[in-house]
Amino acid sequence: MLHWFKRRIQKAKSYRSNDEWIRQLSAPPDEEAVAELRRILVRGLRPPLSRYVDRDLDSFVEDVTQDALLRILEKLDTFKGESAFVSWALKVAVRVGFTELRRKKWKDLSLDDLDGMSDDQEPGNKSHSDNIVTSFTAPDQQAHESMIMTKVMEIMEKELSEKQKMVIHALMIKGIPMTVLADQMKTSRNTIYKTVHDARVKLKKKMAEAGMDPDEILREL
Amino acid sequence: MKLTKDILRKLIQAVAMTVPEEIGCDECFDKLSEFAEVKLAGKSPEKAMPIVADHLRKCGECREEYEALLAALKDLKPRLN
Ligand SMILES: [Zn+2]
Repeated sequence: MLHWFKRRIQKAKSYRSNDEWIRQLSAPPDEEAVAELRRILVRGLRPPLSRYVDRDLDSFVEDVTQDALLRILEKLDTFKGESAFVSWALKVAVRVGFTELRRKKWKDLSLDDLDGMSDDQEPGNKSHSDNIVTSFTAPDQQAHESMIMTKVMEIMEKELSEKQKMVIHALMIKGIPMTVLADQMKTSRNTIYKTVHDARVKLKKKMAEAGMDPDEILREL
Repeated sequence: MKLTKDILRKLIQAVAMTVPEEIGCDECFDKLSEFAEVKLAGKSPEKAMPIVADHLRKCGECREEYEALLAALKDLKPRLN
């Protein structure tokens, strides 16, 4: 009888429904539920994070879990039951973890590095020859590619805002993640995505007006 | 702005994929756990939630997080069910 009872209890704990999770984690949170969620987060975060972290994985996972738990408790009321609670919580935790990974990797980036990105005055970055097509292509192919490049650069120069140019430069040429750029620009990743989207829409329209078909260009490049 | 051939190709690819009605990272995030669960159930979230699938194709950071979430859920699933 006692064994059966114990099993029932154990089962009930690992089979919390969404409503039970929410009730138990709402302030003041039930310690047992928090501890269980912590175990689930650590277990879930470890495998994907291990692919990106080569040192101190355990303490990194611990830190991320701690931050994620606070985050989850903070935004508990935004959970609308669209998935299992655990899936939602892991999603929040993964976002916290990857944001941290990207910040760590780019921690030495400063706003100064982003200055002047919209014009061509960046010193010591790319030598001029990088901008000319230098692969083993036939001369007329090369001329054709240079022409497309010049045309695209002209359209970008003329049609995009300074901010759009700076963002595209940072993301596509420097390879800075949106998460990090958003920090630097004191905005959100969502806003950066929207900025690039607006720029892409504009470029597509202007290229079409100039008789340039992106799909055709891709086949030719 | 100066371009190399690789960057030009990346840029034109991004332009070619552009549609006016794209969702941003926030909206993608809102739908991500549901999307991952549908995927894990062996169904096609790409069909059920095409605008999320479209964002994941275009946004490397959301895609990276989606893949990690999927891996985490796969790892936990046998223990939670
Ligand atoms: Zn995104």
